[in-house]
Amino acid sequence: MNVEISELTRRFGRTEAVAGVDLRAGAGVFGLLGPNGAGKTSLLRMMATVLPPSSGTLRLLDRDPGSYGPRREIRRRLGYLPQNLGYYPGFTVAEFIEYFALLKDMPTGQVPRAVATAIEHVGLGGKARAKLRTLSGGMLRRVGIAQAIVNQPELLLLDEPTAGLDPEQRVAFRALLREFGQRGTVIVSTHLVEDVAAACSEVTLMNAGKIVFHGTPDDLIAQGEGHGVGDAPLERGYSAVLAAARP
Amino acid sequence: MTRDPDMTGRPGNRPGRGPDGIDLDRVWAGVAAEVWRRRPGPAERLAGRLLRSPGLARALLTTPSLLLGWVLATMAVLLAGVVVTLSTGTPWVALIAPPLAAAGIAYAYGPGIDPAWELSQSTAVSDRMVLLVRALAVFGLNAILGLVASAASGAVAAVTFGWLVPMTAVCALALAAATVSRSANVGVLAGLAGWLIIVLGDRVAAGQLTAAVTSTVLILPYLAIAAGCVVIAMYATRTPRGAS
Repeated sequence: MNVEISELTRRFGRTEAVAGVDLRAGAGVFGLLGPNGAGKTSLLRMMATVLPPSSGTLRLLDRDPGSYGPRREIRRRLGYLPQNLGYYPGFTVAEFIEYFALLKDMPTGQVPRAVATAIEHVGLGGKARAKLRTLSGGMLRRVGIAQAIVNQPELLLLDEPTAGLDPEQRVAFRALLREFGQRGTVIVSTHLVEDVAAACSEVTLMNAGKIVFHGTPDDLIAQGEGHGVGDAPLERGYSAVLAAARP
Repeated sequence: MTRDPDMTGRPGNRPGRGPDGIDLDRVWAGVAAEVWRRRPGPAERLAGRLLRSPGLARALLTTPSLLLGWVLATMAVLLAGVVVTLSTGTPWVALIAPPLAAAGIAYAYGPGIDPAWELSQSTAVSDRMVLLVRALAVFGLNAILGLVASAASGAVAAVTFGWLVPMTAVCALALAAATVSRSANVGVLAGLAGWLIIVLGDRVAAGQLTAAVTSTVLILPYLAIAAGCVVIAMYATRTPRGAS
């Protein structure tokens, strides 16, 4: 198992953003769905070792991220795209991705080819030497995806990765997700149920800090038969589960 | 994945295989790697060797820690300090440098200053190492400038020693405050306030404004403050073991 989570909580003052989550994930693409404030981003940030949990157990890639050595090893094998990608406007696309490849402790000799491959993967070859400040929002998102995959991560965590991508780019992105899901764990937090339907082998639905559904996309569709509200079968399942979970 | 230059889901414009079964994708990746790679300059290569980490060297030399504007401002103020020191006989460089370096340190790290801070938090090169290396860079630069300035005044060792030790304490205070509060401005204010309290304390009454940088009695307290503040900064940037 690449992700093993048990009774994980995260509090911000009096607010419990993540309230006793249990989750296990091996290879594959996992969709993390839920309304705003459900706790998806906090959960993802804990898995990215950016945010320490308040309590509970978290193991990533069979290691304990609470200790320095194992955490460093996890981070070498981790790819993370935060919801808000901060970037240095004066860097070029290639410089930015190379910078994070170096911070991920990749062997220096492997970095240039890995950077070129990541840039080609997200279709930004024509913009490799463009300054980040000149790129559109969708292109910046693709830069963020490229830095996340540059080290061929075994655990890839993506927070709203398709925000700003046009429909054609999203189709290609889903193919990329499936490719990485074959050799590692990909966890995608998104509002777009069609991304989940197209790319994910399992889906987890969060509400108010708790997991209220875990299963395959087909299982979620089945939850909505005759109950849910929405245009697509998965949307109906999503709304039916949330309606049942709310007091 | 098939090369997909426009990320459109269509097969790429470049064929995957050329004549004689040559993998053109692989060839292209090699060419692109050479064309797009950023060749480190002499300073980055030297930093990489000294720090034994190309990532730290890149973090030191290309991110906000050593912005040209900050370096120029440091030099301008210190040069002005030298001129005033030489003309008045009062060690103004030693008095001005600590709060200036404190501001540099406070602004060199943090979520409000480093736009890619969250991303950096998830990488293998420790953010604490980046923080401390950047702190070292501030000290290093100021030490060089201080040596140059004090050499001109003819009192190299005394001025530089009397300057660097209190600067270490004030910078550590600013670093700790900025790290704990996650605000560079709070760090700057803490550094300035700490220095003003030291300089303007009871010495003013005795007419010894420069005693803060000339009195050897203060060396141990300075070092104790610096050590305590570094411990606070390290503690504030740790990941608690409660994670598992």
